[in-house]
Amino acid sequence: MITRRLALSLPMALAAAPSAHAQAAPPLAFALNSAAGSVTIIDMKSRQPLRTEPTFREPSHWALTRDRKTLLVCDAGGNGLFMFDPRTAAPLGHRRIADPYQLGFTPDNKYLAVNALRLNFIDFYDAATLALVKRFEAGHWPSHLDFSPDSRWSFHSLQKSNSLVSIDLATLSQRWSVPVGDTPAGVLWHRGKILVCIMGARGFVEVNPENGRITRQIVTGDGAHNIFIDTRRNVLYVSNRGPGRTGLTALDPASFEILRDYPISGGPDDIGIDPQGRIWICLRFAEAVAVLDPQTGDYTTIPVGRSPHGIFLNTMLREPGLITAERI
Amino acid sequence: MNLDRLFSHLAGFMDQYLVLPVLFHLHWMAWDDLAFDWCLICVYGLFAVLVTYAVCLPLEHWRPVERWQNRKAVLVDVFYTLLNRVGVVPIVTFVLFYQAQTWSTALLVRHGFIPPTLDSLVPGLFGHPLLTFCLYALILDCADYWRHRLSHAFRWWYALHSLHHAQRQMSFWSDDRNHLLDDVIAFFWFFAIGLAIGIPPLQFPILLLGLKFIESVSHANIRLSYGPLEWLVVSPRFHRFHHGLRAAGRQSCNYASVFPIWDIIFRTADFRNEYLPTGDARAPEALVTGGYLAQQAAGLKLFCQALAKSWASLGIGRAA
Repeated sequence: MITRRLALSLPMALAAAPSAHAQAAPPLAFALNSAAGSVTIIDMKSRQPLRTEPTFREPSHWALTRDRKTLLVCDAGGNGLFMFDPRTAAPLGHRRIADPYQLGFTPDNKYLAVNALRLNFIDFYDAATLALVKRFEAGHWPSHLDFSPDSRWSFHSLQKSNSLVSIDLATLSQRWSVPVGDTPAGVLWHRGKILVCIMGARGFVEVNPENGRITRQIVTGDGAHNIFIDTRRNVLYVSNRGPGRTGLTALDPASFEILRDYPISGGPDDIGIDPQGRIWICLRFAEAVAVLDPQTGDYTTIPVGRSPHGIFLNTMLREPGLITAERI
Repeated sequence: MNLDRLFSHLAGFMDQYLVLPVLFHLHWMAWDDLAFDWCLICVYGLFAVLVTYAVCLPLEHWRPVERWQNRKAVLVDVFYTLLNRVGVVPIVTFVLFYQAQTWSTALLVRHGFIPPTLDSLVPGLFGHPLLTFCLYALILDCADYWRHRLSHAFRWWYALHSLHHAQRQMSFWSDDRNHLLDDVIAFFWFFAIGLAIGIPPLQFPILLLGLKFIESVSHANIRLSYGPLEWLVVSPRFHRFHHGLRAAGRQSCNYASVFPIWDIIFRTADFRNEYLPTGDARAPEALVTGGYLAQQAAGLKLFCQALAKSWASLGIGRAA
């Protein structure tokens, strides 16, 4: 189990600058195998799986503490939160938490927000002690989340209620809840707006964070699931899960003009981007991670465990700024 | 490509081109993540049926306990198997279990209790998934032993379970021959256990199929015992004794599904080297040779009659 000392040390250092220590870390990818109850550690240089670390049942998503010393991995089915050293992938223990499916630290590092999808809870934990501060039951199947950079608001997609809910982080009270489309999933704060993927439609919507009004609808592909931004190269990516044709869509982050479509079979889900700009994509049905060259569109695959869901590349530790699963 | 990966590919293909278009069309994409799990269950179920068929059919021809002129009574058991392993039942069970499990877990969490998993409870178990799987298999098999034994002990429950015992032409297809209400009771039985010790890890679907395979083979019409390993794994001879005409009803033996150790510990094991005719002499003919619906109706009728008898014996419903 995680020790109190470790829990208290999670957010101690707020510095978001890469350390020399991080520069020296061996490049590792962490693939979270949601149907195998494990995390595959991959050597990014040789593209070979090095070892498998166990979790209880169903690891899905991750969050990095602000001091960049602990990688938190959700295990919803096992009601567990697992900790790893992001540099070495050494396990640092686990803690029992109700149904953590998706999580993120607020930018001011005050709270750890956890979406408990199955249990319909949006939980806010104290980032320092991981003690539960407030629980919301705002709707069905809270799925993905993001925050305003000033830590005033959080935004959570409610997959089965077809809505987006916003929480005021100063008062921990619900601001609004608005219908945004059929089965909303990925959420991203982007240039003062909220982008929400709509799985039951063919793309994502842009929402005004002040009042929850939809301002634009952008078509990418069937079953748009999650949205990411490559902060170094300034490209938006949307993973489209189908039915039928699946893949990634690259967009201009200002105009939302589609730059390129990458057809990828095998159920693409979360992605990571390495220092060379290659995109590492979890392929849920193929039990593999694809490494895609965005210039050529070619990709190779690395076998991992069953149903890889989230992916963390520790090469991100070398980069300055805020690291979240969607800002890569 | 290993077997596991092949199954994932097949399930992914099925999900992408058969299930997701339906979910997308019906605006049910919220179930997208779980749809892949449904597909996996169906693919594994189909594989299990094919392997059981490929192994048991030659054995039943080679060393049958009984030779039947007419195998018509077996056909309905084939339907039960396909319905339970590949068809609607696993999907409905999956959804019901999911809903019931999340509802009850949320209730517990609201009251401050986060349900554990066995590997988080037992020191030293975490990080040893194979050992965890084996422990789950033993606990669940023990629970199944008691569910099965109790289903013979209560008149109303045996009225449902007698559908399983009524088959006079018992074969490897007979394992899934159960009354729907009996399946519902089993569902709640294992649901309660799941709440206490968590859902078993699913890292070893092939092992899971192996356990189900042992259950199917134990029903096969084969003259086969496992000799000195009889005490370790349930054999066709061991389980046939449970289905023997002498053993049907409330005083039976050999209740275990996979591990006979429970019969040994709880003193219900009978290792006699006999191959008895199977069936339940008291079962109405509709339960034996009827079609699926006729069997379900006959089972329900027996259940109601048994329940009425039980209530009458307790004095419930009598006029003052």
